[in-house]
Amino acid sequence: MAREFQRGHKAKISDLTAGTDLYVGVQISAPGLSFDISCFGLDASERLSDDRYFIFFNQPKSPEESIQLLGAQAGDTESFRVTLDRVPQQIQRLSFTATIDGAGQMSQVASGYIRIVAGGEEVARYAFSGAEFSTERAVMLGDFYLKDVWRFAAIGQGFDGGLEALLKNFGGEVAEEEPAPAPPQSAAAPSFAPPAQAAAPPAFGAPVAPAPAPAQPAAPAPAPAPAPAQHFAPPQGATPPPATPADPMHAAQTVVAPMNQPPGAAVPPPPQAPSPYGQPGAQQQPPFGQMPGQQQAPGQTAPPPPGYGQQPQAPMPPGYGQPQGVPMPAGYGQPQGGQFPGQGAPQGVPQGAPQSAAPQGAGVAAALQKYREAPTGQRWTQQNEKLIRVDLGVSEQPILARQGSMVLYQGKVEFSYKGAGFAGRVVGNATGQEMQLMRCSGRGQVFLAEEGTHLHPIELQGDAICVSAENVLAFDETLQHEVRRIEGHGIPGGALFVMQFQGTGTVIVKTHGVPVVLPVTPTTFADCHAVVAWSAAAQAIVSSQVRMRSNAYAGSTGESVNLQFRGAPGNFIVVQPYEV
Amino acid sequence: MNQQLAGFAPAPVATRMENHGHHMVKVAMQTGNDLYARVGSMVAYEGFVQYEPNPPAVRQVAREWMTGEGAPLMKCSGDGLLYLADYGADVVVINLAGDSLSVNGTNLLAFDASLQWGVERVKGMAKFAGQGLWNIKISGQGWVALTSRGTPIVVDCGRGEDETYVDPDALIAWSPNLKVKGKRSFKAGSLIGRGSGEAYQMGFSGEGIVVVQPSEDSTDRLRARG
Repeated sequence: MAREFQRGHKAKISDLTAGTDLYVGVQISAPGLSFDISCFGLDASERLSDDRYFIFFNQPKSPEESIQLLGAQAGDTESFRVTLDRVPQQIQRLSFTATIDGAGQMSQVASGYIRIVAGGEEVARYAFSGAEFSTERAVMLGDFYLKDVWRFAAIGQGFDGGLEALLKNFGGEVAEEEPAPAPPQSAAAPSFAPPAQAAAPPAFGAPVAPAPAPAQPAAPAPAPAPAPAQHFAPPQGATPPPATPADPMHAAQTVVAPMNQPPGAAVPPPPQAPSPYGQPGAQQQPPFGQMPGQQQAPGQTAPPPPGYGQQPQAPMPPGYGQPQGVPMPAGYGQPQGGQFPGQGAPQGVPQGAPQSAAPQGAGVAAALQKYREAPTGQRWTQQNEKLIRVDLGVSEQPILARQGSMVLYQGKVEFSYKGAGFAGRVVGNATGQEMQLMRCSGRGQVFLAEEGTHLHPIELQGDAICVSAENVLAFDETLQHEVRRIEGHGIPGGALFVMQFQGTGTVIVKTHGVPVVLPVTPTTFADCHAVVAWSAAAQAIVSSQVRMRSNAYAGSTGESVNLQFRGAPGNFIVVQPYEV
Repeated sequence: MNQQLAGFAPAPVATRMENHGHHMVKVAMQTGNDLYARVGSMVAYEGFVQYEPNPPAVRQVAREWMTGEGAPLMKCSGDGLLYLADYGADVVVINLAGDSLSVNGTNLLAFDASLQWGVERVKGMAKFAGQGLWNIKISGQGWVALTSRGTPIVVDCGRGEDETYVDPDALIAWSPNLKVKGKRSFKAGSLIGRGSGEAYQMGFSGEGIVVVQPSEDSTDRLRARG
């Protein structure tokens, strides 16, 4: 069963599969755009110290063939074969990246994923969509990295500058003076750079036509063999690998393909777009494809419709169709196993696995290795299911957090009381449901946790969500928030306080135990004590019908009140297994 | 029935201390290799294990720790398998192998009697004396089991010039070579931390690690039970 990764998730490869001969498939598609997908083999300091480990269409394999480019197949835009145990020692990280070839930006991406297939079975998948990006032109999708053992991390980090920026980031050089057709083996980076500019314009002309197809097959362009150092655009799709001995693998992928198709197709635009946008949805690409000039503009507007089309008042759908797997579940299902390998395994068995890890090395450092801080350059990083790290340094934007939720911080962080302007409103009418916030600003990292509750980062991208005030742990100050009261008989204090968040940023929601996410149907009820959050487009009403029922319980005090939710399909509610 | 439960059978003994699941530790006891464990932490044992609460040796070392009711440690000796747990807290097993570690008193579950250990008061944190913020410095060759409410996290302290500040309620352990200082809430009116509204952090500087639990609940359950 494929494990769904979210941005920032990590896992040991050995927890995913016992094999080291892996197939990595990348699928990314956007109307009228084509992508270059490459793999950087980086050293311990995350530098591309050896050009021969920059695997791209022009250099389809590393010297010892531990990393090979296989081309488009089985529904993947690009695929690689990685044999981890043959990767030389100096290579500590394999970073898979996608760059837009030509004009365009990542927000136009309709959908994409990076997946790992081993032994004919998909074991991991990190799906993303253009909604997570803006003007970036390159994106780091996922990394294999060596930290004692090989691990996989879903990165999803964009770069504005495209391939050059990526190369720079990895310490590669974009040597302009070097003639383009340099020997591909020795000077991969240089040979790459010039075409980036040179080839960009032409890239439009030609590939547009084939590009429309990219959705799944993505192998439209006839690929000149990897030799010519010039052509950027065409080869991207296919690049027939000269050496592709991975026959077993191939067989495997094709097997996997059907299973992979439905999710790919089901996720974002396709299902939604057709109805409201019947035409454009279906033919998005052709029109744009022809004219590079237009491509930009419509391109930008294009992605939203599919998602938004259906219910303008419910911006969630795009996020949420997936989110089922995206922000929230992030917290739930996987991390248990994802973050800390020991965690996920069934109770009885684990002694085997985590155990063997611990006694291996002696000493404090070795024993605590698996609890190390997870390094990522992101603003919000989930350390484990109960701990979140905020890096204030990344954007210097303060956050608001519940008082007392800070367990540790590093750096120059200032904490200040968040004034009554907000708190006062929350306090409401002396209900005792007081919410004390603190403002964390400055530079540094803050670790937040509270009472061992499960934490779930929810990334809002212009959408809105309502969270029961008791379940808010922290949020970006940039988010607009307002407090709403839901009144009803029997609610302790007379009302339930709910915070509605809107805008772009992250909210950390805490739940006692592993929550359940339910779609809103005409008959969705939740106990007002157990409900955690719901999409803002769903309407919460105090349900009298259920109130009667609750009165019918033997010994009922009549205090339990249920909320009924109404909303268009696509809305959801989150309920925790715990009544406050 | 047996089949479903078979997965929970103990694994063969490989080392002195091992996790059984996340919340329990299994100690292979041998005569002559005694163990100090928190009083009340034993959940099961197999074989011939004897317990001596408040042994004289501990009384000697932990004189300061005691607040009248005796040190919360018992000496376990004998042969067999001993299972320890602390109300469902995660257990972290460490083979010290010559390293040393300072552990918050309430987060210490068990350790080999052969280790060097001592109770010390956190400097500048006299305030906490009554609340049990005692830490125990352990070093030598042997095993230690710590408890953590939730999966702990280990943070490198020596990164950058900035100090690391920790909520004392969430602190589990740290490298003894770190410089520790107490810090009062920084800005007037900012109430961070929990409890009585007193806001303290412990600041660490230097090279080393700090281990923190994702919960500020440092209630000593073993002791509370009496």
